[in-house]
Order: sequence, then structure tokens, then C-alpha cells
Amino acid sequence: MASIHLQNIEKKYGAFVGVQNMSLEIADEEFLVLLGPSGCGKTTTMRMIAGLEVPTDGQIVIGGEVVTDIDARDRDVAMVFQGYALYPNMSIYENIRFPLRMRGIPASEHDARIRRAADMVELGAYLDRKPGALSGGQRQRAALARAVVRQPQVFLMDEPLSNLDAKLRQSMRVQIKHMQRQLRVTTVYVTHDQIEAMTLADRIVIMNKGAIQQVGSPDEIYSDPANTFVAGFIGSPPMNLIDGVAQDGHFVAPGVSVACPAHVRGKVTLGVRPEDCSVGGESAQGMVYGVEPTGDVTYLTVLAGTKKIEVKAARAYRSDIDVPVGITFNPAHLYFFDDQGQRIRGAA
Amino acid sequence: MATTRKTRGESLLLRYLVLGGWALVCLLPILWFLSVGFRPRTEVITPKPIYWPTFSLDAWHLLMSDWPIALYLRNSVIAVAGSVIIDLVLAIPAAFALARYDFRGREDIGFYILSTRMMAPAIVAVPIFFLFKTLGLLDSVWALMLIYAAINLSLVTWIIRSYMLDIPKELEDAARTDGAGDLTILREIIVPACLPGIITAAVIAAIFAINEFLFTLLIASTSDAYTMSVALANFTGGSDGIIYNAIALVSFIAFVPILILVILIQKHLSRGLTMGAVKG
Ligand SMILES: Nc1ncnc2c1ncn2[C@@H]1O[C@H](COP(=O)(O)OP(=O)(O)OP(=O)(O)O)[C@@H](O)[C@H]1O
Ligand SMILES: [Mg+2]
Repeated sequence: MASIHLQNIEKKYGAFVGVQNMSLEIADEEFLVLLGPSGCGKTTTMRMIAGLEVPTDGQIVIGGEVVTDIDARDRDVAMVFQGYALYPNMSIYENIRFPLRMRGIPASEHDARIRRAADMVELGAYLDRKPGALSGGQRQRAALARAVVRQPQVFLMDEPLSNLDAKLRQSMRVQIKHMQRQLRVTTVYVTHDQIEAMTLADRIVIMNKGAIQQVGSPDEIYSDPANTFVAGFIGSPPMNLIDGVAQDGHFVAPGVSVACPAHVRGKVTLGVRPEDCSVGGESAQGMVYGVEPTGDVTYLTVLAGTKKIEVKAARAYRSDIDVPVGITFNPAHLYFFDDQGQRIRGAA
Repeated sequence: MATTRKTRGESLLLRYLVLGGWALVCLLPILWFLSVGFRPRTEVITPKPIYWPTFSLDAWHLLMSDWPIALYLRNSVIAVAGSVIIDLVLAIPAAFALARYDFRGREDIGFYILSTRMMAPAIVAVPIFFLFKTLGLLDSVWALMLIYAAINLSLVTWIIRSYMLDIPKELEDAARTDGAGDLTILREIIVPACLPGIITAAVIAAIFAINEFLFTLLIASTSDAYTMSVALANFTGGSDGIIYNAIALVSFIAFVPILILVILIQKHLSRGLTMGAVKG
């Protein structure tokens, strides 16, 4: 139970900047999700919070205490590692027990706690096995059990569900969220999976190239992206981003022409989500490039000029390719970004 | 289908023939020891070829009655086992430090340790002799133990280090966040994880120690501290001439422990040797 403050932390590897000037306030009991492409510094950030990596610059405060120079073993943090890091010579039972032993928890409590943690990740039947005799997904769940077996100040989970099948992932997700609410432990969670991020997070942090792009609730991140990176990263399929020119309240790009606020001017990028596009109309004109029925919706790809626009069409929509088609953009949900990729907001 | 199976069978037969032939070539000296060791003395020194030697325990009885083989074996075991234990106690923490801690000159120290093995032992023979003489350690198995430990320490450290480098760092990080200190990590995580490496290093060190000759000869001036390797070299069969069947038998006895050790670790042996030599 602790808040975490990252104050201007930075991690350099030689000249390479892994994490740059990152400031973040994580509230007590908050569930924070770090989301970003591979190599953007998520694991590095986690390792600095855990005390496994010393920041090149800046300060880390956990529960009101400056821990920047405190060793990992003396920070009360439990971490699920991306590579599982199970102790190969110990059984799963002993693996889960290890943190209890190290943290001096009375031996009489061990067995019950271990079984509870193992049951939570549906691994109760495998406690006698060595990690080498488990599948990837089972190992990952064992790693999760080892982290949640004690009640630390902070949980750090680095892609703890990445190797599970869709069904198990969904049930683990619910488990993790439930457990986090129950134990009230501040949690930082890394994932590549947007659904995971959206469903678990109180707040999401979007990172790219070592820098925070946006911090906000899942809703804010989705409906109010701060820049083209966030807009193009969130959503599946992601937002359509169309480069064009705006003049006198009108945005024009090859095959696209829509009204825009008067203060949007010059070279800009228009963003519109597939679900805010509908078949038929005048906003964009193009050719059908592909049709992908998925069961509950059909995704339509339209080639307008040289730009492919994704449209979420009705479930029954079907079309041949290379047929002319018009699209309407919902005018209430258009986003404009300047030539730096930053969102143009309000009236200037 | 049938034809492929037949050719496969034939190639398997051929493979066994070639391997069997090669095994015979390798085993011939050992079989020869046994054959010579268990025949009567007269049949050893006769110039006439003998196709079916008579079985005899002459040499065995001679050895048992006339030659303190138990003493030599005991000396060998104490010196070798003691030296391996010393090596492991020193090398495991050293290897851990060299594999994990980032300190200035780490690579240089690692290489320096290994380089002590590159020197020809004869160069230090004389200083070592005087050193041990001054310390009053001549002619003692304890001195041999120290010498063997010193000779093998660098190699043992290097081999164990190379195994430790293969252990993912995340394991250690996990243990640290779980609340373990350095010594606990070494004892509970690192040592079990590189146990094959430790065993390999120990066995290689034991083999080198069993075979060690130069320093043993130098320090063991009387038969009190003789080990098998030196005793064997000094052994002629007693006062009445060279007794070849006894020599053959002794050679075989000296060879057995090494054979056992090699069989124990043959899976890891090549890896241990090449890693120790090549991997930085
Ligand atoms: N020890 C190191 N030395 C040099 N560069 C490093 C080191 N550790 C990480 N990096 C670099 O820092 C950047 C961030 O790495 P990090 O592991 O935090 O990425 P990540 O966001 O966790 O990626 P992924 O989603 O693939 O796990 C990467 O470009 C990586 O190459
Ligand atoms: Mg990572």
C-alpha cells in the first residue's frame, strides 16, 4: 500500500536513452498500465521501480520514502518478470514459497498461502513439478503466483499474460483485477495487449521511444488522444490518419474532403476511427480494396487516393473489390493534429 | 520403402563395425595391462609369443604383500579430494563475483587468473620447492593438497564462471526482489543452477590432480607422501629386477579411478574443457 512518484527519472545506456525525463504520480491502490511498442522502455521503467536498475538521473519515491538508492531486496516490491525467472532447481511449490521464506513470513502460514496463490492461477495440480516440466503458459502462471503470494507494497507485472491462450487470458485478467482490488496493492502492469490495458487499468500510460506520450483513463486515451502516436496506437484497427491541408474551415486530402474548425490551418493530419466511418456519402471517395468479415462486424478497406481507410461496416456488408464507394465521417468525432503530430484542440 | 529400410539397416551395421573397431583400438592398451597383469612372471619376459597366457595372481599377491598400495591410494585420495574441496570453496564465490559484479578491471582479473595456468609449471618448480621447504611442508600430503588446489584453482574458477554466465540475470533479479541477499542467492539459486558446471570442474580438477607428477615428485621426497602417480613411476617391482606384470597391474589400478570420473561426466566433459578454454 503505497503511492509511487517518479520524478524526472532517466535511464541512459551509454549514449542511448532508454527512458527519458519521465515523471509520473501513481496513486495508492491504483492499477496503472504501461502500454507501448517493443523497446519503448517499459521493462526498464519497471526495473527502476523495483530497484534492479539505478536511474541515471531523477528520483523515485515509494510510499513517501525516497528509494532511489535502496536495494531491490529492501524495497517491498513483487515483480512478475517478462521471462518468468522461475528458479529451475526448485519445484513450483518451492518457487512460490521462496518470497515467503525470504520475507520472514511464519512457516505455519506458508502452505495455505501457496495453495491459495496456486489455485488463483489454476496451477494447483502442478505444485510438485519443476519449471522445466511445465508449458510456457503454466510457467507464466507460476511466476504470477510467486508474485501474488505475499502482500507487498507494490506489484510490478511485466506482460504476465502474454503467453496464455485467449480464454485463460480473459479469466486471469479478471482474477488479477479482482485480487488487486481485494489486496489493495498499487500495481504497475505492462502489456502489449490493448484489451488488457483497457479492461484492467485505472489509468494508462502510453510510451514511445522512452518518453511518455499520454497519461489518462482508458476512456481519455481512446476518445481524446494527445497526438498521432497515441491515436494510431490505440484501437483495433487503429484510427485512420490522413495527411492533408486545411484552409478556411475545410480539410482536403486526395479523395477526402470534410469540414473542419476554422482554427485548423495548414498542413494537418485528420484522424477518424473506423467506427466513426460509415458506408455511403461524401466525406471520402475511393475504391473497395478489401472486405474482412469477422463475425460480428465487417471491416472494409477503402483506397482513397493513395491512402487506405479502414471502415467498420455493418455485419452483412459485402462488396467486390475495385468498386467505387463513398464514405461518411461522423463530424462529431474528427481529430486534427498539427504537422508535429500534436493534437489541435479548442479554438485558437 | 523396403529398400530404404534395408540400406538404413546396413549403414547402421557399418557404423557399429567402425565404432567397434575404433573402441577396440582405444581399449587395447587397457586390455593389454590386464592381460600382462594377470599372467605369471615367466610368461611376461619370455621372448616367445604366447597366444593363450595362463591366468595367475602372482603380481597381485606381490603387490599386496610387498608394496604399500593402501598408503599411496590413501595419500592420493586425501590430497586430491582435499584440493578439490579447497578449489570449490574458493572458486565458487570468485566465479560469482567475476560473472556478476561489475567492477573495474573485472575482465583483466578474470584473464589474469586464467593466465596463471598458461605458464610452464617447471618455471615455478624451484621457487615452490624452497617455499615449501621453508614452511616445513616437504614430504606431506597436506602440501600436495595445497599444490594441487593452487594448480587447478584458476581452471575451476574459469569453468564455473562460464557456467554462471549462462544463468539468466533475471533469475537473480527475481530472487533479489523476493528479498534474498547475495549469499542466499549464491547458495539457493546460483549454485544449484550451475551444479553440472561445478561437478564438471571438480572432476576435471580431480583428474588433473590425480595425474599431477612434477610437483608431487618435488615435494614427496620419501614414500610417506607418495601418491599413485609418483609411486607408479618409481615402481619397478622390488629388489629382484623389473617386474612387468606387477607394473601393469599397478598401472591399471591407477587408471580405474580416472576412468570412473570420466564416465561420470563424459556428457559435460567436452563442454567444460572448451568453455574453460574458449569462452570469455
Ligand atoms: N542493459 C542494456 N544496455 C543497453 N540498452 C538496453 C539495456 N537494457 C535495455 N536497453 C534498451 O533500452 C530500450 C528499452 O528496453 P525495455 O526492455 O525497457 O523495452 P520494453 O519496452 O520492455 O520492450 P518489450 O515490449 O519488447 O519488452 C530498448 O531499446 C533496449 O534495447
Ligand atoms: Mg519488456
